[in-house]
Amino acid sequence: MGVNAIRVRVDGVSKRFAHRVKGEVYAARDVTLDVAPGEFLTLLGPSGCGKTTTLRMIAGFETPDEGRIRFGDEDVTQAPADKRNIGFVFQNYALFPHLSVAENVAYGLRVRGVADAEVGQQVRDVLQLVGLAGYEQQFSNQLSGGEQQRVALARAIVIKPRLLLFDEPLSNLDARLRVQMREEIRELQQRLAITTVYVTHDQEEAMAVSDRIVVMSQGRVVQDGSAEDLYHRPRTRFVAEFIGRVNLIAAQVVDTADGAVTLAALDRHLVVRYDGESLLPGDAAWLVLRPEALQIVRADDTDAALQGVVTARTFLGEKVEYRVLCGEVPLQVVRHNSGPGDLVPPGLTIGLAIAADAAAILPGEPE
Amino acid sequence: MASTAAAGPRAAGAGLARDPALAVTVVLLWAGLALFVLYPLAMLFARLVVDQGHLSLGGLGKILTDRHQVQAFANSLLLGALVGVIGTVVGFAFAFVAARGRLPRGVVAAIDASVLLPLISPPFTTAIAMIFSFGPRGLITYGMFGIKGFTVYGLWSTLLSEALTYFPIAYLTLRPILAAIDSNIEGMARSLGASRWRVFRTVTLPLAVPGIANAFLLLFAASLADFATPLILAGNGFPVLPTQAYLQITGMFDLRGGAALSFALLVPALVVFVLQRYWVSRRQYVTVTGKGAGVTPFDSMTPPVRFLLLGACAAVTLLIVYFYALLLYASLVVALGANHSFTLAHYRTIFTDGAKAIRDTLIIAAFAMPLGGLYGILVGYLVARKRFPGRGAMELVSMVDYALPGTIVGIAYLIAFNDPPLVLTGTALIIVACYVFRYGPTGIRATIALLSQVDPSLEEASRGLGAGSATTFRRVTLPLIAPAFFAGLGVVFIRSMTAISATIFLISISWTLITVKILENITELSLGSAAAFSVFVVVVVFVVIGVISRAMGRFRAPGAAPIASLLGG
Repeated sequence: MGVNAIRVRVDGVSKRFAHRVKGEVYAARDVTLDVAPGEFLTLLGPSGCGKTTTLRMIAGFETPDEGRIRFGDEDVTQAPADKRNIGFVFQNYALFPHLSVAENVAYGLRVRGVADAEVGQQVRDVLQLVGLAGYEQQFSNQLSGGEQQRVALARAIVIKPRLLLFDEPLSNLDARLRVQMREEIRELQQRLAITTVYVTHDQEEAMAVSDRIVVMSQGRVVQDGSAEDLYHRPRTRFVAEFIGRVNLIAAQVVDTADGAVTLAALDRHLVVRYDGESLLPGDAAWLVLRPEALQIVRADDTDAALQGVVTARTFLGEKVEYRVLCGEVPLQVVRHNSGPGDLVPPGLTIGLAIAADAAAILPGEPE
Repeated sequence: MASTAAAGPRAAGAGLARDPALAVTVVLLWAGLALFVLYPLAMLFARLVVDQGHLSLGGLGKILTDRHQVQAFANSLLLGALVGVIGTVVGFAFAFVAARGRLPRGVVAAIDASVLLPLISPPFTTAIAMIFSFGPRGLITYGMFGIKGFTVYGLWSTLLSEALTYFPIAYLTLRPILAAIDSNIEGMARSLGASRWRVFRTVTLPLAVPGIANAFLLLFAASLADFATPLILAGNGFPVLPTQAYLQITGMFDLRGGAALSFALLVPALVVFVLQRYWVSRRQYVTVTGKGAGVTPFDSMTPPVRFLLLGACAAVTLLIVYFYALLLYASLVVALGANHSFTLAHYRTIFTDGAKAIRDTLIIAAFAMPLGGLYGILVGYLVARKRFPGRGAMELVSMVDYALPGTIVGIAYLIAFNDPPLVLTGTALIIVACYVFRYGPTGIRATIALLSQVDPSLEEASRGLGAGSATTFRRVTLPLIAPAFFAGLGVVFIRSMTAISATIFLISISWTLITVKILENITELSLGSAAAFSVFVVVVVFVVIGVISRAMGRFRAPGAAPIASLLGG
């Protein structure tokens, strides 16, 4: 089922809506995306950030007020959805309740005038591909959530679309099934090598499936990069807090040398590697410490950059979460569980070492 | 996410220009609405304020301040309020028993069937049965108790007859609401230590209050508009507005007086409509999706309460069954109360004497049915899914004739279409138009309700798969709203067979109706023939509803309302 993957370009696209209270609001504002052929791109953000509106404009369900959308060399900005040759998977699956599984999947083929025998063959093949062989005559109300999701997927890919679009496809499934389905979607996308844009508000899901993630907030793109990039080098406080868990500590720049900054934070001086926009001594900044970047050591250990008191412990099996009060500042610390003897009791004073490269700096005025 | 409507008239107008089929449909529908809804009402109003070419309210004041007519106005309100209260209480009891009684399926089905009877019956049915039972030679008053000269006519008999006829509306309104209340909420209250009675008082009842208010308003409106029952049972001592308007026109040939009286009826009807639409509808706590909760209903009743409620409902059900059995019996004996020997003479009469009425009624129904069904889904689809200028106005105007008492609509049609430029009185067209615009809105409501449950993503999925808007409507939308079409067909048919309040003003020598024939029979005291006619109508309606329900069953309709539930409003 290989297709020639296309490049998708979204260029300065905006969409305004009339809002009952706020008047005219931007659902998407000057959004620019460049999706490479065969790339799996995820739009990630909280609800209302404009990710679904952007996806719906790519699909042709909404028309942008400004900007252009191109599939390869073709400008599709004004083209209706039925002229774009896309595969769309909806959050609620949108299976036609009056049609059987086979007829749902066949729908796009029939619209394209494919001969009956050929339709039957393709429907069987694609249902086989998504693991639903034998479900042809079922109706959507007889299927489980996961099965409905697979039918929606089959219906989207059977037409060999130029582009596959997903709108929060897993949010109606339970946690275990969600993990399984996202692996299946990723595997299928790799096999078909089809350009894909995927919308979710779940950062873990985004990290699991995507080649690249675009984080959106309040209608705008705020950062764009691989999962590792966004996690380790967030450029805004929003991204730092939205992706993964984080300790954000108010700090002040004391000194800068090439590639490193000395910060005053938590009543001591810490040296952190930094290559972002220039900081001057006296500037305010945030020290970004992921919970796993802090290592619990003995209080008198020479590696201990910080000292604190364990105030709470949450046992989660493979890992253990601690709350450590460092002066006035509570910190989250996560530690891999390496055995029953390894647990630190609450009340104990401990030292915290900061792994090299694990800290990051965000410029900005602390509140 | 942001699925807020995109901008105002600019976008809507552009949509109309891009879609010529939509533009043509909108224009045609507006033409129909203007001609058969707005124009007659405008003419009615003009008749009120213009007297012999002059703007004048003289004469109008006289009739509206006449003591007798003021009494009729007060009586109408009193009757409506009493029917509203009693009907709602009985309907609630039935709904509660059906939704919470944990009854076997068969028993609930039996309740549904017997409750349906009054809704699909021709008018006068309970009235005739009342006369048979409590009249001068009544089976109960005279036959059982030997009371001579008992007067059946007046407030109490009218009230009993209307309450029995209309309480099913309350039942159909309240049952889905009670069934849809999340049993976990009540279970939660119980687990917090509340007794069953306390749960009912503090949780169940408050959640049902909007539904109860709605049921009351629907019953009030139904009673206010009811023409047939008071005509037979109210008697001279208890005049009400619809019958007074009718008598003013047919008895005194005073069209203007009739118009004035119908106008007096308009005010409370409008108040009820506005309350129902803009007040009650915004206070619904329970969303009725048509999907069963799939949880065991909350155990609301202690055994004695359950026994008591079941007993009360059984008594009401038995009364209904008794009335209809009596009707059937009366149609098969020479003269009920006097000569009880078996005869088919009454049926012979209706198929000879009444043949024309039957034929006319069926012909008119055959035309009104498809037109009304089509009108319903067209307006419903446009209003729910398309954007065009005047969309809200179209929805409102399309509901007007549906909401107004039939007497007003009938008199308005009579005034509008009796004189040039449009003389339609005496034709079948005027009756067909009346049915289409008066009962088609049931299909509109059903379509809107159905489409509100059909996520727009279904249509988008079709567009995304490459189908154009016409293909999408044909292959996706149409099959999904087919149940609304059939529901519209069913309701228009039932009403074509049973309506009288509007059409009594529109019949002629060329075109008459079964219901009018029944009225003639009653006034001529040929009660046997009236009973035979009624039995005939009930049987025909049952058969047609059966056929339509079967047709509906062929379509998978998640959340499609059964026809019966649409008869309520």
